[in-house]
Amino acid sequence: MSAVADTAPARAVPAASAPSPDRTSWTAWARYRITHTVPEGQWLPDRQPSYVASWIYVFGMATLVSLFIVIGSGVVLALGGSEWWHTSGVGHFFNSTHLWSVEIFFAVMAIHLWGKFWMAAWRGGRSLTWMTGMIALLAAVGTGFTGYLSQTNFDAQWIGAQAKDGLNSVGLGAWFNALNPAAALTLHIVVLPLAVGVIVIMHVILVRRHGVVPPIGAVPLIGAVPPIGAQEPTS
Amino acid sequence: MANTLILAEGAGHYLDFGIFHISVTNALIMGAMIVLFVLAVVIPFPHHKADDDSDSR
Repeated sequence: MSAVADTAPARAVPAASAPSPDRTSWTAWARYRITHTVPEGQWLPDRQPSYVASWIYVFGMATLVSLFIVIGSGVVLALGGSEWWHTSGVGHFFNSTHLWSVEIFFAVMAIHLWGKFWMAAWRGGRSLTWMTGMIALLAAVGTGFTGYLSQTNFDAQWIGAQAKDGLNSVGLGAWFNALNPAAALTLHIVVLPLAVGVIVIMHVILVRRHGVVPPIGAVPLIGAVPPIGAQEPTS
Repeated sequence: MANTLILAEGAGHYLDFGIFHISVTNALIMGAMIVLFVLAVVIPFPHHKADDDSDSR
């Protein structure tokens, strides 16, 4: 990817200006939404504005890459089971890969969050991008918390007991027992990862739809295409 | 119970500031994250020579 002058990424026609489809056909509507949610050429852009040439813009992609490693190593752990990841060398390797990719995932996600906060990255019609990022963070924290029981050791037992007391103290114990390994494991490997995955996909689509937020005070060049959020119809 | 407490107290090193209690490991990781954030802001991003040529046109 190369950096160019301070202009918005090139795109032929802004999505909001394209004619809407016939409402009587769900296939035409779906095709329109799929092809026009992100402007043509912006799904996998090879050029970005010059302000993107900064290390702070790297951490969003670093979060995505570490998430892929988290999911991949988790799938391998699910295939082997706890007896395998506790007792074999290869199992220990994937156990550690899962742990440290999670550590890196949360670290780079936090730095990504700090960078976007100080950029006020919700500007220019990007509020949904910001909100989906925050929801992804919360879902990821929940996924992390439900993974502790998978250690299947005294540490897991102690953490589960603390979580149970905490949830009971706020009245959530009637709906969720943190000491139930089946419930915690299912939430950890199915429900919450699915939620994180869907929210992250929405987040990335919104980033591609609206483009990367420019620095505060940047003056757009004449002729530059404004972000889609500024053109969205109000009705 | 007493043995358990002794084992727990021997696990890791902790920093105490009043009600604030944090392990040295966690404090170091948080410090490293802040250092990484500052470095990401101040260190210049490498440019390709082709970018400089296209910018000068």
